[in-house]
Amino acid sequence: MDKFSRRDFLGLSFKAGAATMVAGLVTPSVGSVLGLGGVAEAATRKITPFTFAVLTDSHLFDIEAHKFDAILAKGVADVNNMKQRPDFVIYAGDLAQLGKEAELSKGKKILDKLKVPYRIIPGEHDWYRDLGKAWTGMFGADHWSFDHKGVHFIGMNSILIPDFWTQRGLTPEERMGFVAELECHQCGPWGVHEQQLQWLEEDVKKLSPDTPVVVFTHSPLWNYYPRWNFQTSDATEIHGILRKFDKVMAVHGHVHQVVYNQIGNIVSAGVMSTSWPWPYPPVELPYPNIKMNRVDPADIYDGLGSHELNLSANFDGVVQYHAFSDVLPDNVKRGVKL
Amino acid sequence: MEAKRTLKKISVVAAAAGAAALLLGIGNVYAKKPFTAAEAEDQQRELLAMVKKGDDLWHSDKLGTNGLACANCHPDASASNPHTWPKYQTDLGKVGTLRDMINWCIMVPLQGQAIDVNSEQMVAMETYATYMHRGVKLAPAKDEQHGGVPVKSGPGYPTGDDGNR
Repeated sequence: MDKFSRRDFLGLSFKAGAATMVAGLVTPSVGSVLGLGGVAEAATRKITPFTFAVLTDSHLFDIEAHKFDAILAKGVADVNNMKQRPDFVIYAGDLAQLGKEAELSKGKKILDKLKVPYRIIPGEHDWYRDLGKAWTGMFGADHWSFDHKGVHFIGMNSILIPDFWTQRGLTPEERMGFVAELECHQCGPWGVHEQQLQWLEEDVKKLSPDTPVVVFTHSPLWNYYPRWNFQTSDATEIHGILRKFDKVMAVHGHVHQVVYNQIGNIVSAGVMSTSWPWPYPPVELPYPNIKMNRVDPADIYDGLGSHELNLSANFDGVVQYHAFSDVLPDNVKRGVKL
Repeated sequence: MEAKRTLKKISVVAAAAGAAALLLGIGNVYAKKPFTAAEAEDQQRELLAMVKKGDDLWHSDKLGTNGLACANCHPDASASNPHTWPKYQTDLGKVGTLRDMINWCIMVPLQGQAIDVNSEQMVAMETYATYMHRGVKLAPAKDEQHGGVPVKSGPGYPTGDDGNR
């Protein structure tokens, strides 16, 4: 596998603004730099244009008539009412808050009201009560791929952490409690780990470089703010495996905010949750103009939303952030090009 | 008249003290002798114990009734913006303090009961939020959402064993 160094990767993802330019200089092997606007220098194969929708991070509690139930229901209704009917929905993790079966089944019931099919990947809140047992029982494999109208879609479980609980004798509830804190300083950085890396390598082996690829992970595939696990520890390896493609779109949840980055041939977008918004961490954003405004804490819908992603025949993408309240600056309201 | 004379006397004393400090090459003027290392350490220990209490409360789902904690929206106390208070806050409808806002958050997003603003619990939460913004410049009413101090590891404040000092 052709890799670029961890240090280069960190450097280019932490430096704002000029990051991709610097990347081009430091690591010319990374691939052609995409201009903001997502036009790849090498053209990908033509596709049949279509739209899909994204929902994520509902963090449902096992509490009757909890406010987050209504917000997820609003997201589902929003998707069902989209003018451009999406072909399917991707749900990007953290359906539950504390990994309880009751939370997951409540979420599934709401998601099942979608009028189009959906695919789902797990988040850490879905997983660490029973290490994915209830989630996989309900939704199946935690990583998958499929082809749709000429686009190769990949979903992976990016929230795997080394065992920090056995030696400490933690109960499942205690383990979940630790992981449920965003600052989880007990568990460290998470990733997709070796088995999924091998699977990914195998999955894309036979695809030609002009194949349009969209990849979903719960956490960003770049080093945004590791403290809050706004990262995927083996993102460098994933970038290495996907580097052969002309263009890859990466969409992630977990950050509960509008955020954007480009590294080499991968252009990525973070999307809003249906639970609560997260503030921007104390690091410079690589693209500071692509973000959402401050939210009004009195408005339970502020900073939250659903999303549609429109793909053109040339595999140019536009993320339309459907904010439930008026939280987007005009440039984001117009749609973010991928 | 008396007051004026006293003021004059104080300023003379202050000037003398300042001159003495300059002569001694000391940068700071103290109202009394500087704290000894042992005293300073005791004070720091007390402060950090309060920060820890605040951290625990900040991450507790017991302040509210819907499972949420302050940390759900404010990890590492980010976006609590302690450097911007007091200020006019629209949700409070008045000029309020960080304590007022903490109580508002307990009552509205967390759907809990307000706590006594002078309680140790409140002091602890305010101490935690402020400590997580140490070094941030005071800017009352500045329209800014601050992420707090960047944290690499541990809880974000010194505990003596995590290299966070």
